[in-house]
Amino acid sequence: MCRFTFAPHTSQYIDRIRSDSYVEMYEMDFSEAADRISRKFQKSGQTIDPKKIEGKLRRLIEEFSVQPSEAERSVTNELAKEFNIPSMGTGSAGSGGTGSSGTEEKKIADAAPGEWVTIEGKIVALAAPASPSIAQGGIIADDSGAIRFVAWAKANAPVMAVGSWYRIESAVVDEFKGIASLKIHSGTTIKEIEEDRALMPTTVPISELHPGIGSIRAKVVQEWDATHERMLQSGLLGDETDTIDFVIWKEPGKESLTPGAVYNIFYAQVDEYNGRLSLNLNTAMVMQEDGDIAVSGGDIAVSGAIVHVAPGSGIIKRCPVERCNRALSRQNYCPVHEIQPKFTYDLRIKGWLDNGEKTHSVLLQRDVVESLTGISLDAAKEIAENNPLGMDEVFLQMRDKILGRYFTCHGREIERLVNKCEPVVFESGKHTALLNRAGGAS
Amino acid sequence: MSTPAREMGRKDASFEREPARRVFASELRECRYQFKDSEDEKSPTFVLLPTGERCNRIFIVGTLTEKQRQGDQNIFYRGRVVDPTGTFFIMAGSYQPEAMQQLAKIETPAFVAVIGKPSVYRKDEASSPMVSVRVESINIVDKETRDLWILDTAERTIDRIEAFAVGTAPDVVKAKEQYPTIDPVTFRKIAYDALAQIKI
Repeated sequence: MCRFTFAPHTSQYIDRIRSDSYVEMYEMDFSEAADRISRKFQKSGQTIDPKKIEGKLRRLIEEFSVQPSEAERSVTNELAKEFNIPSMGTGSAGSGGTGSSGTEEKKIADAAPGEWVTIEGKIVALAAPASPSIAQGGIIADDSGAIRFVAWAKANAPVMAVGSWYRIESAVVDEFKGIASLKIHSGTTIKEIEEDRALMPTTVPISELHPGIGSIRAKVVQEWDATHERMLQSGLLGDETDTIDFVIWKEPGKESLTPGAVYNIFYAQVDEYNGRLSLNLNTAMVMQEDGDIAVSGGDIAVSGAIVHVAPGSGIIKRCPVERCNRALSRQNYCPVHEIQPKFTYDLRIKGWLDNGEKTHSVLLQRDVVESLTGISLDAAKEIAENNPLGMDEVFLQMRDKILGRYFTCHGREIERLVNKCEPVVFESGKHTALLNRAGGAS
Repeated sequence: MSTPAREMGRKDASFEREPARRVFASELRECRYQFKDSEDEKSPTFVLLPTGERCNRIFIVGTLTEKQRQGDQNIFYRGRVVDPTGTFFIMAGSYQPEAMQQLAKIETPAFVAVIGKPSVYRKDEASSPMVSVRVESINIVDKETRDLWILDTAERTIDRIEAFAVGTAPDVVKAKEQYPTIDPVTFRKIAYDALAQIKI
């Protein structure tokens, strides 16, 4: 600050300058920091006189020579404790402020819920705000990873643009349903970083995805019936390690994926529902590529008895509207497209396969049903249209052929969809082995 | 292949259907102890097998040898299903209309597969306890299915006997308390005899 040390006769003058500049320097900081703290508490409904905060800061800095950033942190914590506001805490003690704002500068991947952080990252996606209290929401990424962010309308933060880099100081990481998100509030400062740094997202194996944001390289394994009219596409993506559900919601500019094609998917939202992960691709960058992926089997085979054939099995009518394909009611009513007299017929069986230890819900589609019951779609149609019991007769005939019998069903562990199913046959080898086992200890 | 959330509706997300246990008639006949895990009206009732496993539901395959229509106001059907070790007593009433219609339709004798819920009851205070099976579903099957069931049931029975010998599972401890006079090793012999009956 002051370098007037060479002239002894000016020492008094220098002291004066020194102390003046000292006070001046922090004078500004005191009120700024105090305002910053006061604003934080205002969000929690607490009004604290900035003068009081300033006094506390001044005491720590002037009397105890505490670093300003550290002082700001301890005063915030002290007041938070006083007003019993737990979320105000700025993380673990000893995470000393290296950033000028009093929060630690971190890589995005290291930002843990509950922390106040300063990060530098690139906006890779913006999403339409879900509520008027949100000014902007989207995904920000650096070379370590990516995180969702929300800028509150009250924060009066500058509008950020996709593709630009920003330094975000003093934002809060919080967590909702296990997903971390960066909250930009009125105490956060945002500065645009002019240079365009290179950023290449790193993809991870599907088996290593966790709730938040993830980038993968995967193949479209299955495409499913839309279950909602706002849904553009849903299905299953797979790589060498695992598979995951995906969904794309209808939005201008969104295109469906091609089944069987391989894509690089950057910054998709990974959600968790009932312990199961799924990918929302609406925020993601999706690029098709030429390669192929040997998708992980993930296949399991379960042998057991069919212990229940559920209503809705047998021959069913489906909605003919493109991409709908929902099962229609008896009156040909589609929950979305209403009466559809020009339905198409399909076969399916919903039921439970039980091995004595665990019961698996199974869903057999047309080809599997045909091979298992020996009743083709055409034969079923003929029964449905000419038998007095109609579609019920198909249900009964199919039920009588499979209920209480042993089958081996192949499918993916986490799904009910069975892609292959065959009757269990009696193996004399197993019989002999069991005889030995039963006789062994008697 | 677990149930997707949307299929479960209002039910608890952790809902799992009770598996249908495999048990020979001669073991089921010995059951005396029936319990619930909680006071909740909807919580399932279990019958404790002497080999130390609880069952809320069982899967049996055998020969339906007799069936009988009973009751005037409330019609129900009783039947006897015979396996190589003994007899299961099954019944289906108006609360299981489909099962009752199925049972009414089947001509004896026939190989049948039965999925149902076992329960222990007494005709009156003086009589000894009986185990009967309330039918959820019944269907005609073939001899091969019956043979597969014997393999399956023998295997599960021996598994239980071996777990019983280790003797640490809570239900095993409970079984030792409830059935002090039954030695599960007898069921090993029964399983052997059942297997030996299968002619290849």
